[in-house]
Amino acid sequence: MLGALGGLAGFGSLLHPSIAKQIKEKKKQVCLIWLDGGISQYESWHPLPESKFAGPFRSIKTSIPGIHFSELMPNTAKIAHKISVIRTMATKDPNHSTGVPRMQRGDPLDRGVDYPYLGSAVAKLLGPADPELPPYVWIKPGNGGFIHREAGFLDARYGALALGDGRPPVHIHRPDGVTAELDAARNALRQKANERFRAYRNTSDIDAYETSYDMARQLMARKDIFDDEKLDPKDRERYGTHPLGRHVLQARQLLEAGVRFVKVNSYHWDTHGDNFNMSQRLVPQADQPFAALINDLDDRGMLDDTLVVMMSEFGRTPLINSRLGRDHWPDCWSIALAGCGIKRGAIIGDTTKDGAFVNGEGYDVGHLFHTIFSVLGIQSHRQKYRHKGQKLAIAHDDCEPIKEVML
Amino acid sequence: MSLVWGFSLSGQEGLHNRIDDLIRFKVGDVPFSKTADDASFLRRVTLDLTGNIPTPDEVITFLADKSAGKRTKLLNRLISGESFAAHWTERLNVMFLERLDEGKVTQEEWDNFMKETLRGKPLWDDMIRQMIEANGQGASRAAMKFLGKADHHAMTEDIARLLLGMDLTCAKCHDHPSVKEWKQAHYWGLFAYLNQTKQATAKKENKVYLVEGLSSKKVDFESVFDLVKMSTGPKLPAGEEVVIPQYEKGEEYDKPAADGLPAVPKFRPRELLATDLTSKDNELFARNSVNRIWFLLMGRGLSHPLDEMHSKNPPSHPKLLDLLAREFVSHGFDLKWLIREIMMSEVYQRSSRLPNGVPKVEPDSYRVSLPKGLTPEQLLRAVLRATGNVEWAKALEVEPDAEKFDRKGYFTGSNVELPPSLGEIESIFIQTFAHPPGTAEVDFSPGVNKSLFLMNDRLIQHWLKPRTGNLIDRLSKMDAPDSMAKEMYLAVLSRLPEKEEAIWITDYLARNEPRRTAALADLAWALLNSAEFTFNH
Repeated sequence: MLGALGGLAGFGSLLHPSIAKQIKEKKKQVCLIWLDGGISQYESWHPLPESKFAGPFRSIKTSIPGIHFSELMPNTAKIAHKISVIRTMATKDPNHSTGVPRMQRGDPLDRGVDYPYLGSAVAKLLGPADPELPPYVWIKPGNGGFIHREAGFLDARYGALALGDGRPPVHIHRPDGVTAELDAARNALRQKANERFRAYRNTSDIDAYETSYDMARQLMARKDIFDDEKLDPKDRERYGTHPLGRHVLQARQLLEAGVRFVKVNSYHWDTHGDNFNMSQRLVPQADQPFAALINDLDDRGMLDDTLVVMMSEFGRTPLINSRLGRDHWPDCWSIALAGCGIKRGAIIGDTTKDGAFVNGEGYDVGHLFHTIFSVLGIQSHRQKYRHKGQKLAIAHDDCEPIKEVML
Repeated sequence: MSLVWGFSLSGQEGLHNRIDDLIRFKVGDVPFSKTADDASFLRRVTLDLTGNIPTPDEVITFLADKSAGKRTKLLNRLISGESFAAHWTERLNVMFLERLDEGKVTQEEWDNFMKETLRGKPLWDDMIRQMIEANGQGASRAAMKFLGKADHHAMTEDIARLLLGMDLTCAKCHDHPSVKEWKQAHYWGLFAYLNQTKQATAKKENKVYLVEGLSSKKVDFESVFDLVKMSTGPKLPAGEEVVIPQYEKGEEYDKPAADGLPAVPKFRPRELLATDLTSKDNELFARNSVNRIWFLLMGRGLSHPLDEMHSKNPPSHPKLLDLLAREFVSHGFDLKWLIREIMMSEVYQRSSRLPNGVPKVEPDSYRVSLPKGLTPEQLLRAVLRATGNVEWAKALEVEPDAEKFDRKGYFTGSNVELPPSLGEIESIFIQTFAHPPGTAEVDFSPGVNKSLFLMNDRLIQHWLKPRTGNLIDRLSKMDAPDSMAKEMYLAVLSRLPEKEEAIWITDYLARNEPRRTAALADLAWALLNSAEFTFNH
């Protein structure tokens, strides 16, 4: 069904606009790079070397005249004209435990329900981009598996397929000693047994059961795309051989294969102590693969349909503490967005001279979620979740998309 | 047995006959599925009552038994057995605790309490009353696990949802937006019964109790929509508001504070709730109770989803729901009586195959039996029994100095060991096949990870290797492919193979002659992964 629609894509202009739009939406994909703990805006997007809060790093010119990033981001500085940066995020929550879910769930007011994380939300609202692949894959250090809690109040099936350390769940592999031929043969037996059972029976649950096997076998057949061991060594060099580099490269591969939403997590950005040495080590690990991803998507003609977001739960304090660290700072910090209806080269945000506060109103997570949903073609004010008989907003009722960064 | 029923009522007395009358009455003169054959009936009843598939011997014996009333005899035997108590403990755990292990009562203590209750003649209202009123004293101590950590809102929501069929979660902040009769006052009326309950520790014995503090005034609440301030005393959704008695200062308590436990007030609304909620006059309770028991046996509630019993979601068979509720009450909430009556009905005993010539029927018409997905616990037991590895699993023993089994590594592939104990295997099955803790396990939910597990898990492969006495070992020692087919179908699918199926097995074995033992494992693998095995039908 979806495959048939996809085959019509070339005739988009001949179709009724609403159908053409639907087909286009099918192509929209997302990569969320999550820097857990909070990257310092001073050591990345908003260096302000003249500010009294500046650290030891220089700022460098970017590809946009007059715009500077920290010298820790040399690769991203070269592609500043392909991305947008919002330097005036003001998000209220200074705690990891509540800030992470708030920033990833959009949290449209306290309704007493657990909102889905962004990946699950997009999986629900847009469905899979390729019906043979899971809509939401999460690449993270540590453990993997099927993580249904990401789905919040949505059905557990909208949860994430998590690739722990970039590896797929063990059950995606054929057991030792079972060849592809043998696996095919025994599945043929299984299907035969099922056909007999299904005949003369009401079929919906039984079909759903069979479908889960079809999907399982498709995953098994394509398991290489879920395995970071299979990545091209040259690409690895370009993205960086550290975990974040490998995982962003793997994300590119999954996006190319047709996964709707890929989240990549990197941890330990919580630089309360020794912020500058830590940033010197960490920020380049984000800079290198982020720039490589943007360039690769652009070269492949995918950037216009692929939204890339790199963010944390908050920024870091202007004030440098006694341990040469920076603490949590939700009042004025930076987020990068690119692709898929996001302007190229919009580095926005009016802050006080030292970067500590927003001049005027900043942007909160509600604005961000409206922006993300809007560029994906989701009507963020009109579309609702249905949960236990209630219609629930998918993003804050009282926020609007951030037009400054949208095409 | 006639396939087509007229409108005339059967005129027979037992509740099971009246159930059938009302199901037939609703749809009129249409064909119904036949009565399930003996093998299907045996498998269904054994799964429903004992949580396992029957053994090959049990199947053969039941098929050979030609006596009238053998089905009733089977029901009676299984429902009074120890496996019934164990399996229904499991089912009710999943229903009432939703796999959350909260509070100070251990899972084992609670299991023992439930098993003890379910042996003999369990009375549903007694059981629920104890779950609400348990304060830690006496024999019902373990029942307080139902109230978990005594979080006031969690208790209110759980009691409304699980015991009254009312998901009032959104009525915490405002009247239900689409269900007119569900009011915010219903939520807070229940809340007012519970808002003085808390955990307290007796110092000397270092034991936690669920005590009630002094409740002397109504609870205040306001709607987030119009900000109108309201208040209520304890009140059941269809009941009268309880007047909170006012005592003279110094007269409020029955017993003074002692040993770290607070004074015991004279007015203890939670105890009142336990009595009033489970009273035979509380129709909501009786209806919710029978709806849930019906669901456990029939695969869907007469009112479905189970916690949406309201005017916008009318039951499929309102008269039947009323009848069951009334009869359950008049039989003193006798659980086994109700189970037996439902199971003796034609509607329970129907085949899961559609009536001849009918391509599809609505699931809530009960014209055909609905297949139910096996619970994670049923599935594990069934796989072990089917593959003949029950003894192997029982014999597992954890070495005393063994390191803790790395379960996460088992799923990521960094741990390639087999689990060291049956308990660990159970946890792996539950982690894979159960719904997430804290969610109701009601609807069938297949999943890619579940299919991948049954296809590729190390345990499954291990169980399909020949080992003395297990299925593959037994089969590999047989000569005739016909006998192999028979043994395999009896063991895995609890029935004899049809002719075509026996031929199919024979063919596959002939084509794989040089690797016969492996080919037997292929066939058993295929049957284990088939819908016929993983559903109770």
